[in-house]
Amino acid sequence: MKHRSPLVTLAAVAAAFLIMFIVNMLVSPPGGSAGEPASPPAAPSSTEPAQQTTSAVATPSATASESTEDKSFPNKIVYAGRTEDKSGAIAVAVLGDQAAAYFCDGRSIESWLRGTVQGRDISLRSKDGTTAQARLDGDHLKGTLKIKNERLKFEINGAKKPAGLYRARGSKTTIGWIVLKDGSQVGVQTAGTNSTAAPELNPESPQVTANGESLDAKPINGDEDL
Amino acid sequence: MTSVPVAAADAASAEPSGTKIGPVIIAFVAGTAVSIGLGVYGRLHTPTGYAVNIAGFSSGPAAKAALASVAMAFGVVQIVTALGIYGRIPLRGAWVSPVHRWSGRLAVLISVPVVVHCLYALGFQSYDGRVVTHSLFGCFFYGAFVFKMLILTRDDSPKWALPLAGGLVLTGLTALWMTAVGYFLVA
Repeated sequence: MKHRSPLVTLAAVAAAFLIMFIVNMLVSPPGGSAGEPASPPAAPSSTEPAQQTTSAVATPSATASESTEDKSFPNKIVYAGRTEDKSGAIAVAVLGDQAAAYFCDGRSIESWLRGTVQGRDISLRSKDGTTAQARLDGDHLKGTLKIKNERLKFEINGAKKPAGLYRARGSKTTIGWIVLKDGSQVGVQTAGTNSTAAPELNPESPQVTANGESLDAKPINGDEDL
Repeated sequence: MTSVPVAAADAASAEPSGTKIGPVIIAFVAGTAVSIGLGVYGRLHTPTGYAVNIAGFSSGPAAKAALASVAMAFGVVQIVTALGIYGRIPLRGAWVSPVHRWSGRLAVLISVPVVVHCLYALGFQSYDGRVVTHSLFGCFFYGAFVFKMLILTRDDSPKWALPLAGGLVLTGLTALWMTAVGYFLVA
C-alpha cells in the first residue's frame, strides 16, 4: 500500500519554500537597487577603474591644521583586523590625509572604499554606497562599516608588514587581500560580477594567477585610485 | 499497540520478511541530495544580508527565534505522539496520529520562512563552530525531512526506517534550535 499524503506535505513545503524565496527576490532592500536584489553587493565597485570618490565624500575643511594636532594618525599606516562579529575582515590604509579601505568576507562579499582623514576621523565610501566611519582611539582604529543594511563594527590595530592590505588588478580580475597579524589572510577576487574567495597570497613574492592571468599584488598605501 | 493508527501501525508492525530496503535507500539518496543541494546553494549564493522581515517582531532575529521556537514546540509534540504511536508511553486515542501528522506539517511549514531567511540573507557560513554546526544541521534537517516523507509513502519499509528518519529530523531540529535560539537567548 502506498500513501500520497506525505508527498502532498512534501510538495506543500517545497511550494512554501519557493514562494518565500520569490517574495524575497522581488522585494528589494530599502535603499538598494530595485530589480537586482540578488546581485552581489559590492562586486561592481571593483570591476572598473574608478576616479577618486573623495571629492564627493570629503567635506572641505581645514584638514591640514587639524591633522597636526596630537594623537592624530601617523603619516603612513595600515590598520587591519576582523570585524567584531568575525564575519569579515577590514583594512584601512592611511597616507597623509588620504585613506583607502577594503572589507571582505573571504568568500564573495567585498567593498573597496576611498576617503579622507580629518584629525582623528576617517570617513570612507565605496562607489556602490558602502560607507565606513572610523576614529583613532589610542593606537587602534575603531569604527563602523555600513554595507547593504548591515552595520559591522570593528576595532583594528596597526598592521606591520607582511600584514596589511594588498590588491591585484588584471584586465578581467581584481583581487583584494587583507593579511592579518597572525599571518592569516582574507581575500576576495572579482571578475565581472562574479566574486569568489581569493587565491592564496604570498606577501613575500606577491604573484598570483587568476582566470589565466598572472597578476602582481601590490600593497595599498591609501592614496591609490581604487 | 492496539489503537495504533494506520500508517505508523503498518510501518511499526511490518515483518522483516515482507520488507524492502530499496525504497529506503532511494529515500535516503533523495534526502541526501536535498541536503547537499541546500548546502551548495548556501555556499555559492551571495548572501544578500537582508530578507523580507516578518511583521510584528522587534527584529529579524527575534522573528526567526520565535518561529523556530514554535517549530521546536511542535517538535516536542512530535516525539511525544510518536512515542504514543509506538506504544512506548501510554498515550492512546484516535487523535494521537492526526496530532502527530499535523504538528509535524506545521513545524516544517513554520520553519520555512526561517530557513529561507537563513539561506537567502546569510548563506552557509563557517566562521565559527556554532555557525558551521548550524549551517550543517540546517541542510541536514530538510534532507532528513525529505527522507522521512518518502519513507512514509510506503508500508513495506523495514520497521526501523521510520523511527530512524523521525529521529534524524528531530535531532536536526533540536540542534538547529540550540545553535540559534539557544545562542540568541544567551547572547
